[in-house]
Amino acid sequence: MKVIFALLLICFSTLSNAVEQAEEIFKQLAPSLYQIRLIDKASGEKSSIGSGFQISSDGLIATNYHVISGFARHPHKYTIEYLDNQGNKAALTLKSVDVINDLAIVQREVSTAMPFFNIAKQAPTKGEELYSLGNPHDLGMIVVPGTYNGLKNESFNDRIHFTGSVNSGMSGGPVVNKNTEVVGINVATSGNQIGFLVPHDKLLSLYLNYKKSPPATIEQQMAAQLMQNQNKLISTIMDSDWQLKQLGRGLIPTIDVPFVRCWGESNSDKSDAQIMAAVANCDLDENTYISSDFFTGSLEMEYRYMESDKIGSTKFYHIFERQLNQVAPGNQAGKDDVTEYQCHHDIVMPETSNIKNKAVFCTRAYKDFPDLYDVLYIGISVDHEQYALLSHFTISGVAQETSLAFLAKFMESVSWK
Amino acid sequence: MEIIIEEISHGHKLLGRHKFASSNITIGRGYDNDIIISDPHVCADHLQLHFNGEHWLVNDQGSINGSYLEDSKENVIQHQVRSGDIITIGKSQVRFVFPSHPVEVSIAISPFESLINLARHPVALALSMSLFALIAGWIINLNNANEVSLTQMLVPTIGLTLGFALWPAGIALVSHLTKHDARFWTQMGISFIFFNLMWLSDIFENIVHFNTSSNFSMVWTISIIPLLLAFCLFWLNCYVGFHMTLRRRNLVSLSLIVLLFGGSFLIQMSKQPEFNPRPQFDTTIMSPAFLFAPSSNVESFVSDSTKLFEKVSKQAEEDNKD
Repeated sequence: MKVIFALLLICFSTLSNAVEQAEEIFKQLAPSLYQIRLIDKASGEKSSIGSGFQISSDGLIATNYHVISGFARHPHKYTIEYLDNQGNKAALTLKSVDVINDLAIVQREVSTAMPFFNIAKQAPTKGEELYSLGNPHDLGMIVVPGTYNGLKNESFNDRIHFTGSVNSGMSGGPVVNKNTEVVGINVATSGNQIGFLVPHDKLLSLYLNYKKSPPATIEQQMAAQLMQNQNKLISTIMDSDWQLKQLGRGLIPTIDVPFVRCWGESNSDKSDAQIMAAVANCDLDENTYISSDFFTGSLEMEYRYMESDKIGSTKFYHIFERQLNQVAPGNQAGKDDVTEYQCHHDIVMPETSNIKNKAVFCTRAYKDFPDLYDVLYIGISVDHEQYALLSHFTISGVAQETSLAFLAKFMESVSWK
Repeated sequence: MEIIIEEISHGHKLLGRHKFASSNITIGRGYDNDIIISDPHVCADHLQLHFNGEHWLVNDQGSINGSYLEDSKENVIQHQVRSGDIITIGKSQVRFVFPSHPVEVSIAISPFESLINLARHPVALALSMSLFALIAGWIINLNNANEVSLTQMLVPTIGLTLGFALWPAGIALVSHLTKHDARFWTQMGISFIFFNLMWLSDIFENIVHFNTSSNFSMVWTISIIPLLLAFCLFWLNCYVGFHMTLRRRNLVSLSLIVLLFGGSFLIQMSKQPEFNPRPQFDTTIMSPAFLFAPSSNVESFVSDSTKLFEKVSKQAEEDNKD
């Protein structure tokens, strides 16, 4: 009984301790916290909200790129404004963005030097108590305690796994340690106490780069970042181990890196099916947000093996052909963002392999970011009467050279066993 | 002098022909006339013809609606008949011809005609119709992902065959209604031969698409084949079903082609979205048995793909200018 009482007491004391600390932190930091709003000029109403925090005495405020993406894409349609803890509103100007890490720096006008958040020098340790600040669902500024759980494993661009409720509207808000230093920025949630943060070093380098040389235009800055990221991503993938796995009678390449994950499915439980089918697909677990209807930076590979000894060869290929009508791009993009696809097809047999494919390659160009493209490839084997293998990939936001290098390697990797 | 009087329809189709040797002829609705026309707009005693030893004279008998020489508004009174004159009485027409009226030169029966009649031969007809049904059944089976039993296939196959038989039947009906020889079985024979040719051209087109890469830019020429076949079918339908000049037959067939293919093309164009986010490419794949083309290697495929980037970049530039 004594033990239980003692345990309860400890729990209570740590709990009250945490609450006190959170209160203290909040009181201290509230003047440097803002709600960031995007105001639609035509209607005069706010069209999206997020959080932000001041990172310099002269009025620089950090937030998420996706909070102000509307302004970055259509500067004539919106204005950005802040709402501080006193209820004051004023306009903000967009200074710099990091579209890959979903960060942006905006500036308010200040008359005297103001308090601001310090960015941490070091990453937190696993299990460390952190406090996430933000304005969820326009309900007012709150503080949410949580735990640092290291970097997300399946992510190509680093994200902190934070155990705590990050809700929409808190995007762009800071996450601080006990010393009120910023260790991360709220960016996304996976529901049920799983939140993701952008690590502090990304913000620090964006800030220092801005101080050193502010970008000429936001669009050029974004284009350069997208170009650099695709280069890094595709060269990492090209240099990593391509493992050949068996799918039916075929051999398919899968990439052995943690940020590309594979899944599989087949109809082998249905004994009366006319065609036995097995599907495997691998994709990148993340993409890059450009605007609410324009995403890029995705990579997807799909393999489909079909075999039948119950139907004739002509019918087999006729049914296979119908699956080709379902081919769709891997990322969402609209008329203002990209051109329509242009395609090329041929019968191709790689010299190094024993498979004969009908190969189709399609690409479309980005209108605002020169030399970036979405590409898509489909190969269907046409050399066996009763079985066939479809191999397919889509990559969005790649350069011509990298995508063609990937294409050649991919085509040469698929073969019959 | 003898005179021939033809009752004709408004489209100048012959309804009845009479030859008279007397010098007085009456036309009207009354039963005492030489030619009785049961048109309610014709009077009991409407028109009278008289031969004065030298000429035939035609005279309206004071009818309510009058009698007019074609294309004229004046009532016919003591009009001197010329061979070929057409006179409108009420809503009917009569045509006067003298025995000396010239006729067109006779047309020799061409070997082409006997070739067409071959299509009507019961064996040829049965063969082409059953071939059609066979292909139709095969295609129905191909399009069905599940297993199809023979009885399941039978109903749609018969339905499809009967549906296609409506075309020749319709033409035969129209030619019958326009006082032509219906020639139903000839129409059937010809139409089904061409339907089969169209199936074959379809298969041929698929094989060509499957075997050519997009580097082969002449692939559109293949799509002329069905147009040509359809033209031939319509032309023969007209030849068998109606008496018309060659010029007119060509014109009718051509207009039918434009109506049919142009119409479906327009419908397709109207359904085209302003921006298509999906890639459009030739999806034809067939059994390896139909693959005759040599395959290229990866390098040439990659270098061909390079050209696409130039194309879309140019497109993006143009769009940005607008």
